[in-house]
Amino acid sequence: MRRYCEDAFPVPRYKPAMKRLRGSPAWMSATRLRVLVCGLGAGLLLPVGTLWSQPVAGTITDEDNHPLTGVHVLVDSLGMGTITDAVGEYSLPDLPRGAHTLSFRSVGYATSDHSITALGQRIELNVVLEVVVVELDEVTTSADGVEHDLTRAAASVTTLDPDDLNALRGQTLAETLSHLAGVTALTTGPSIAKPVIRGLHSQRLVVLNAGVPQEGQQWSGEHAPEIDPFAPVSIDVVRGAAGVEYGPGAIGGVIRLEPNPLPVESDLGGFVSLNAFSNNSQVALSVMIENGVGAIPGLGWRGQASMRKAGSARTPDYVIGNSGFEELNGSVTIGYEADRVLLRTHASLFSTELGLFSGAHIGNYDDLLRVIARGEPAVEYPFTFDIAAPKQTVRHMLFTMMADIYVRRGSKLKVQFGAQQNTRREFDAHRRFSETGQGPDFDLGLATQTLEIRYRAAPNESFFWAFGSSGMIQQNINAESGYLIPNFRAMSAGAYFQATWRRTPWTVETGLRGDHRWLEAYPRISRQSGFERRTHEWTGVSGVVGVIRRLGHTWSLAANLGTTWRPPGVNELYSFGVHHGTAQFEIGTASLGGERGRSLDLTLRHMGKITQLEISAFSNRMSGYIHLFPQQEPRVTIRGAFPSFQYMATDALLRGIDGLFSLEPRRWLHFDAQGSIVRGTDQEAEGPLIFMPANRLTLGMGFALFDSMIPGESDLEIEVTMVDRQGRYPKGIDYAEPPHGYTLFNFGYHLELSSGVHASLTVQNLFNAAYRDYLSRFRYYVDNPGRNVVLRLSIPIGNQQHHPHT
Amino acid sequence: MFFARYVPSILFLFVAMIACDSAEPDDDHIGDEELITRISITLVSSNGISQTANAKDPDGDGVDFEIDTITLSSGMTYTGSVELADEINNEDVTEEIRGEGDHHQFFYVVGGDATSQVTIQITDEDEDGLPLGLSVTVTVADGGASTGTLRMLLSHYDDVVKTGSNRSDETDVDVTFPLVIN
Repeated sequence: MRRYCEDAFPVPRYKPAMKRLRGSPAWMSATRLRVLVCGLGAGLLLPVGTLWSQPVAGTITDEDNHPLTGVHVLVDSLGMGTITDAVGEYSLPDLPRGAHTLSFRSVGYATSDHSITALGQRIELNVVLEVVVVELDEVTTSADGVEHDLTRAAASVTTLDPDDLNALRGQTLAETLSHLAGVTALTTGPSIAKPVIRGLHSQRLVVLNAGVPQEGQQWSGEHAPEIDPFAPVSIDVVRGAAGVEYGPGAIGGVIRLEPNPLPVESDLGGFVSLNAFSNNSQVALSVMIENGVGAIPGLGWRGQASMRKAGSARTPDYVIGNSGFEELNGSVTIGYEADRVLLRTHASLFSTELGLFSGAHIGNYDDLLRVIARGEPAVEYPFTFDIAAPKQTVRHMLFTMMADIYVRRGSKLKVQFGAQQNTRREFDAHRRFSETGQGPDFDLGLATQTLEIRYRAAPNESFFWAFGSSGMIQQNINAESGYLIPNFRAMSAGAYFQATWRRTPWTVETGLRGDHRWLEAYPRISRQSGFERRTHEWTGVSGVVGVIRRLGHTWSLAANLGTTWRPPGVNELYSFGVHHGTAQFEIGTASLGGERGRSLDLTLRHMGKITQLEISAFSNRMSGYIHLFPQQEPRVTIRGAFPSFQYMATDALLRGIDGLFSLEPRRWLHFDAQGSIVRGTDQEAEGPLIFMPANRLTLGMGFALFDSMIPGESDLEIEVTMVDRQGRYPKGIDYAEPPHGYTLFNFGYHLELSSGVHASLTVQNLFNAAYRDYLSRFRYYVDNPGRNVVLRLSIPIGNQQHHPHT
Repeated sequence: MFFARYVPSILFLFVAMIACDSAEPDDDHIGDEELITRISITLVSSNGISQTANAKDPDGDGVDFEIDTITLSSGMTYTGSVELADEINNEDVTEEIRGEGDHHQFFYVVGGDATSQVTIQITDEDEDGLPLGLSVTVTVADGGASTGTLRMLLSHYDDVVKTGSNRSDETDVDVTFPLVIN
């Protein structure tokens, strides 16, 4: 049966590095095993087969019974194949006797594998190919898995499938993604982390959650994306200028979370996952159950719930006071698919209460300098599960409805509606004079509705196009207190066209998009004059051209040229006040225009038998790059002096290299390396940009264990991450020099029992190194957390096919 | 069919939200943080002459920050009392601080040429018998005219325990008055 979001080509997706972090060793992955077994089979059967050739023939059609031309028919094990003719017919005249798997592949359709046994008679095999749903994949055609991986996208894309994610469960989205080359985490203490892609974060990234752009209060570094770390999804990360379908804001990259396929037949499955983390005594529990409604074929559902509870984190030397959190999440997905329509409704709730290190609650700039000079917290904090102010409570509700309607012959209309409500309350340590703040100091409610319509024409072997438009309306309301961010309403509308041509060995992707954004904000100009209504409008065009060139069987080179823009955020226009935790006075600039990036990416990919490589070089020239520019005069108030920063536009240039390399010299042994370098330059100030990630290199090694005592498979992994000191930073702006570089060792043992039960023991920061990361906003106050021993256990429910590992 | 059935209602919802909502803030109940907008020190000399020096920040954001100069006489002793106010919310903050004396302490730092000439002694105590600093004695030694600064700091103790001599990492007030000694 067809499933939602079925991969266009169910062949090994290139899973760089992450692959090695998970349960089973890379060579054991099902797909590779299949290739291996097929190869073996072919070797044995070949001598016989050559004597007894048997023809196989048939017709390939789409779901509407139209013949499909140009479909690749492949017998992987024999390295032979053909393509269908103008009336959709194919014939393989020389198939050796024995069992074979025939693979039918065409762009825009799900690959269909069929096992046949050639015994002497002519075999007729007619196949109906089904249109695929995955958007990111549909733009590429593929003759085989290697080809797919080599020509998947002109931009740098990495996919984390549920398998990869399962090995990293229980961590925040940013921590999970920071295992990828080019992605780092911007943290505010142990409980808040947001992803940074090639030096860009917050409003310069788009997070697509079940097809809907996540709209939270993501404007500040201490506002993490509201994503359940146990959500049953796969994640695509696009580094750099992404396709035009993502709209303005995707200037630095896209993080796309796509729900896993739903069952379509009655087939109960799921899993229970239990994690324990030693560092902050975190316990995480997740339950997922899914089933198809037998009485109504095509109707399926999934329910999932997770909770995480953590106490204070610990550095090697002390407890980070009040850094615990408590999270409760859940989601329900219901889907129905019939011949020509695919419907999905998804609702999710994310809610968290998280403590912020109370030692970072300071009064003014002078306090900050004294804390930095002391180098450690003023008092010894006890470990506790209690969460006291300063703290945040965040709730994010998402509701989406999606319909894919197959209009005719593979052309498809997609309609997606999303409604989200984000509520963020931030509690200061205390109201300035009273002991405990009853009410929050900030109480922001952001409601967003999005509507997206996309029409994709029926793809053929060499051409594909799609047209889409999207609309968004948004409203932000301050309740009771605080007005660092004013109330606002915003509306956006956009339309795009994209097309992909393909003629071996070339693939060309293009896209063009126009957007308009209207914003009405109510900043308080002064206390006396009260609120004033201000409106803004921006219009912008984005465009992408990508070219991929196959170089032989195992190499490809891709170039992606893009221009993207984003309108300024409301905080960049109207912030006015002290930002807690960093004691800096932030001032918005109402006259800011949009930010425009012009980027060029070059990606070299290699998919060899024992080696894999993906290396990207990028250059992103951004005009009107909005950043906090230090002001000459500090802001003097009764509370003391605060260094003052204003949001200003400059011209910035971000360049860098990131990539990974893996080597598998033996079936039981693998080595990995991945690294990233980012250089940010403020071209007006002719100096480095502040807060760019430091150079980073991770080396890993893993081997499978063969132990007849263990009824399953197990492997060991060792990983070392080296992070340089950031030597490029603007002098005299930051309060403290960038911290020293550091080296962390990680260790992992994974066990997969034949019953489907998975268990793993990993140790992060094995030698309990004390360090501070440059992108930790609390590096002025405390070290990063120390050693963390993590136990993960995952038990399948019902049919194991649902288990994320299988 | 789905398209015909649901899409119009989705569009309707979408349009309804555009049409109905207003994000216009309500001036009455928004944005009233607790602030100190004025701190005053009243100094009464031993010969009975009173003066009050103010530091004012009417918006609490430093835009219209103003601070008076304190003028003292050489060889004179003064009795000082401090008052703090949140004039936006019409609140006297002095009593709140006195009520939470064990979580607050003032520090007085004299700077410039006047440093050795001016001594400031805290004369009040919190409930634990530790100095508070809303009341002080200012002693100006003989030595003629000079200039300097008087910095007033108010530490808030939350995680850090007040000992009577330690500053916390959280400063509620930090103002520096110009000081002239005649």
